[in-house]
Amino acid sequence: MATVVIMPRQGQSVESCVITAFNKKVGDTVEKGEILFSYETDKSSFDEPAPESGKLLAIFREEGDDVPCLENVCVIGNDGEDFSEFIPKDAEDEAEAAPAEEKAEEKVESAAPAAEAVPTTGAEGIGAISPRARALAEKTHADLLKAVPTGPNGRIIERDVQKLVDMGLTVSPAAKDGYTSAVAGSGINGKVVLSDLAAPAAAPAEAVPAAAPVATYEDVKIPNIRKIIAKAMVDSLSTMAQLTFNSSFDATKLLELRKTLKAGGEKMGLANITINDMILFAVSRVILNHKAANAHMLGDTMRYFNTVNIGIAVDTERGLMVPTVFSAEKLSLNELSKSAKTVITAAQSGTINPDLLKGATITVSNLGSMGIESFTPIVNPPQTCILGVDCVTKRIKEVNGEDVIYPSMGLSLTVDHRALDGADAARILKDIGFALENIDLLMAK
Amino acid sequence: MPKSQYVDPGKAFDAGYIHFEDIPVCQYKKTLKEELKIYSKEDMMRIYRDMAIIREFETMLNEVKVKSEYNGVKYNNPGPAHLSIGQEASAVGEAYCLDINDFSFGSHRSHGEILAKGLSSIHKLDDNELYDIMKEFLDGTVLNVVEKHMNAGGNIKELAINFLLYGALAEIFARKTGFNRGLGGSMHAFFIPFGLMPNNAIVGASAPIALGAALYKRSNHKPGIVISNCGDGATGRGPVLEALNFASMDQITKLWGMDGKFSDGGMPILFNVFNNHYGMGGQTRGETMGYDMVARLGAGFNPSQMHAERVNGYDPLAVIDAVSRKKKLLLEGKGPALLDVVTYRVSGHSPSDSSTYRTAEEIEAWKAADPIVAFKSKLILGGVATEEDFAALHEQITARMTEVMKLAINDEISPRMDLNKEPDAIASIMFSNQKVKSMDPEREPEMLMPKEECPRVKEIAGKVRTATDSKGKPVSKMKMYNICDGLFEPIIDKYYEDPTLIAYGEDNRDWGGAFGVYKKMTEAVPYHRFFNAPISESAIVGSAVGYAMCGGRAIVELMYADFIGCAGDEIFNQMAKWQAMSAGILKMPIVLRVSVGSKYGAQHSQDWTALCSHIPGLKVVFPATPTDAKGLMTSALEGTDPVVFFESQRIYGIGEEFKADGVPTGHFEIPFGEPDVKREGKDVTIVTIGAVLYRALDAAKILEEKYGISAEIIDVRSIVPFNYEKVIESVKKTGKILFVGDACERNSVMRDMASNITEMCFDYLDGPAVVVGSRNWITPAFELEKSFFPQADWIIDALHEKIMPIPGYVPKTNFTDIEKVERAKKGL
Repeated sequence: MATVVIMPRQGQSVESCVITAFNKKVGDTVEKGEILFSYETDKSSFDEPAPESGKLLAIFREEGDDVPCLENVCVIGNDGEDFSEFIPKDAEDEAEAAPAEEKAEEKVESAAPAAEAVPTTGAEGIGAISPRARALAEKTHADLLKAVPTGPNGRIIERDVQKLVDMGLTVSPAAKDGYTSAVAGSGINGKVVLSDLAAPAAAPAEAVPAAAPVATYEDVKIPNIRKIIAKAMVDSLSTMAQLTFNSSFDATKLLELRKTLKAGGEKMGLANITINDMILFAVSRVILNHKAANAHMLGDTMRYFNTVNIGIAVDTERGLMVPTVFSAEKLSLNELSKSAKTVITAAQSGTINPDLLKGATITVSNLGSMGIESFTPIVNPPQTCILGVDCVTKRIKEVNGEDVIYPSMGLSLTVDHRALDGADAARILKDIGFALENIDLLMAK
Repeated sequence: MPKSQYVDPGKAFDAGYIHFEDIPVCQYKKTLKEELKIYSKEDMMRIYRDMAIIREFETMLNEVKVKSEYNGVKYNNPGPAHLSIGQEASAVGEAYCLDINDFSFGSHRSHGEILAKGLSSIHKLDDNELYDIMKEFLDGTVLNVVEKHMNAGGNIKELAINFLLYGALAEIFARKTGFNRGLGGSMHAFFIPFGLMPNNAIVGASAPIALGAALYKRSNHKPGIVISNCGDGATGRGPVLEALNFASMDQITKLWGMDGKFSDGGMPILFNVFNNHYGMGGQTRGETMGYDMVARLGAGFNPSQMHAERVNGYDPLAVIDAVSRKKKLLLEGKGPALLDVVTYRVSGHSPSDSSTYRTAEEIEAWKAADPIVAFKSKLILGGVATEEDFAALHEQITARMTEVMKLAINDEISPRMDLNKEPDAIASIMFSNQKVKSMDPEREPEMLMPKEECPRVKEIAGKVRTATDSKGKPVSKMKMYNICDGLFEPIIDKYYEDPTLIAYGEDNRDWGGAFGVYKKMTEAVPYHRFFNAPISESAIVGSAVGYAMCGGRAIVELMYADFIGCAGDEIFNQMAKWQAMSAGILKMPIVLRVSVGSKYGAQHSQDWTALCSHIPGLKVVFPATPTDAKGLMTSALEGTDPVVFFESQRIYGIGEEFKADGVPTGHFEIPFGEPDVKREGKDVTIVTIGAVLYRALDAAKILEEKYGISAEIIDVRSIVPFNYEKVIESVKKTGKILFVGDACERNSVMRDMASNITEMCFDYLDGPAVVVGSRNWITPAFELEKSFFPQADWIIDALHEKIMPIPGYVPKTNFTDIEKVERAKKGL
């Protein structure tokens, strides 16, 4: 029985993937689990293991082909087996195929059990689900990735969702959407809350390496979601050369401005502009001077952006979410503040448009309010850096020979060393620090 | 079977001979001179005129068909045109003898009969009556057109001829201003006010319907006779032969007058065969039949040989002579009668007929004997009129026909039904949906005793109307009010309320119906309202259709649902269609009782609800409790629509298990269309059709007690119409639904409903809507039935395998998809 290998769907919004390399060629013998080919989405790249052992009978695609998800890529089977039924219509003419002997006779034998070629439900993370169960999950925010299907043919049915609800295994629909479409997004930050997120499979659960972090004190079966997050984390850290730089700046003016705005902003018709808004503002104004920091690294290509789309890490009830404020460089501080509030509120209430959870060119994660003095945020691929904002501490500096106590705010910038060098990072931090230290001047600009 | 008639073995084997009387063959010999003593010159000229009008009408249709043009007027008619050129003398001769109390039924080839009887009626009606008829018909729709657009010179009869020609032609051309709003068409046109009953596109189908009309006249003592017209080809059809026998039944003269009060003699029906020698292309005499002459058939049906005669249908006076004699016999109570009217169809079967089955010489020879030409010569020779008179007459007819045609094809004056503007125009006439207590409130119902004295009524009065007594103990079968009683009560009530109500079927009377629904009813209802029919399912249902068309209400029974096949045309084409085909003019208050069997194997155990509900125009119900049986039968009998009333032999004896107060006494209706929640539950919905309700209850009990699953059971009760709202509500609650019934699963009502529920409730479903029906096999012997009909276990198996696996449950049957695919591959 020939087994077809399809292009897996990596998240709901992914429609096609590009094949980057074939590790095997037609006629090769493959072992189950051996990598057949590598492919990538616009966000990530993946390896496809052989689902069965056997001979690679045919490859329907070429390296560099953009293959629609769920369409057939290649076929594994026994020598001479008929695989004609798997040949995709569009690839039929150019299929590179091993000669199939006695095609006609074999066709008859293989006709009946064609059903086996149907993709397994694991490909999407969630398998078959009844409309009612899906509706209940949407209503209750049950985390379907944790569901144990008990319906016929592995279908998730209502009672399975109800069980999730009863066990408190829920997730906001917005977060779910966000993460089903942005696989690597789960690795965006080192926050612990991430573990509760419903980040969908970056790859089938079976492919998760054994090295995934496990609970230490009791033997609890690792839920799928945890395995997936683990893989996403490891993927992010293992495919990039990340390092973090820490610096600080004098936040006196920043805090003064905040005080002034708090006192009189409302009368001026301004939004409630926060420290964080000012930091976003500074980033939006400075970062275009450092084009490698406002970019995506896509394999061997760098994509430099002309606009600053700032991802804002938001700690929500359901866990971390990263909504985006687009074209922040065009917004005044007041406008930026308003936009940020809108997306943050939407993220927190779970009503955010999933499209706003994508498309950031740089991310800002602020743990300052929680007293964190320094941390190593994790870059959200394919972005090249993430700015962590730390808390304000009192420091002493010498001014005119006198020790002066001043409020100091820390910044922790993680960069992908593949895209930027240490000196670049240092320059970025310096510029941002200067801009924040002299927020009045920046405002005047 | 009546006990009054002793079947004596001492006489059954007596030796002797059956004697036949000679059947007259074309014995008419009168001269014109003799006839002119009976009929005036004007009568003769009118006979001629009517034939000529028919000839011109048919010629016009032929020209339109063949040349898309008549007398310079262009038109394309895509519809049928089965013409009767050559048969005019037969039609006019027959119609000459009839008045509006005489009903005539015809075939696909009946334009001539419509015009002939219409013209005859116009002549016989006085002007005021005539005008009122035209004015009232379809609120003056037809009259308005001819009054406005044609000049009748203030002559009502001329106006009426315009009315007749235009109404018929507009109908043929499918115009909204036609006699039946264009919904009947060429093969179905009719006009009841002239006694012109529906014509039929199914060969021979009019015979049982006409029989029903005669039954209506006979059982309700109405004046007039009934003519059943058909061609010789139709005499090969079972329903025609069934009707000949049914009309000849001994009981009509021997038993229907048994108490001396209600005897009206034999069935007032003339089976008139327009013997044109061909059934389409098959030559009846010499090829497809063996009777040599149609008239011979009469000798087979009763000792009076149906007064059969063969008549020269090319001579209108010979036909008038024969029909008037037959009419007299019928009015004297000596019916039925049979005429073999020899004629010839010079035109093809239809315009596409290239006459490959007959020679040009044959056609030419018959043309040479043209009845119209011959009659004209006769009249000229006899000094009745001159050639010039006839020329003037023809000119007038052609001019009139051209004018009528122009009107009928004018889209402004004669529009077709616009289903874009009035999308419900047809939907609104599929059912009449009326409630009529009595179809003839003027008359007192004829019964043999007061209702309270009816033995069955007395018996039921002493019965317990619940299945268990006040202490919860089961009531004994003898004392328990059961489904048979639930059916009986509204029927006997209606008998005392509606004088037109009749009930018949096989073994209905003394036997009490094969399953006892009519037990002890015989004593109360006179024979002519309640009788045993011959084993003639086509005639049973077909006659009910005719009975209802005439304004009566009938309950007919087919004993086993399997026998629906024997009456297929009558149920599916006649009973179902005539309300809409008549543009809502006709009502069809028929309850067709059919019983779903068990224990009796493959041909006596089938639930054919799907067949009946597939056909538009039928209402279909299937009660499963005494209360529902009573409520639905009451509604069926109050209504004016045809109802196929399914019953189940498994549960006739069952008591009322659901209504604590028992089956309501007195008048009690359950509206059609409303399913009933027989058991409330929250986890899974089980929708049942018919007797399977009780197996579903067993399943619900097991689910509740063993697995903690709460099943809601909804009994559909009424399949057409059906209100899905309750089912939708239930699915919203449970998310899981199974449809269960005893019909074979493939294409069943359950499948239809499951598909609809899937469409309407997709987002609420927690699994597919699953069907549990019988296997797609023959029904095996009783001992093997549990492998064929759905059982309680099957319902649980289906739930487990297709919707919600039950922990620890081991299914006994295979409801998996793989099994389904395999079965379907094999046609199972």
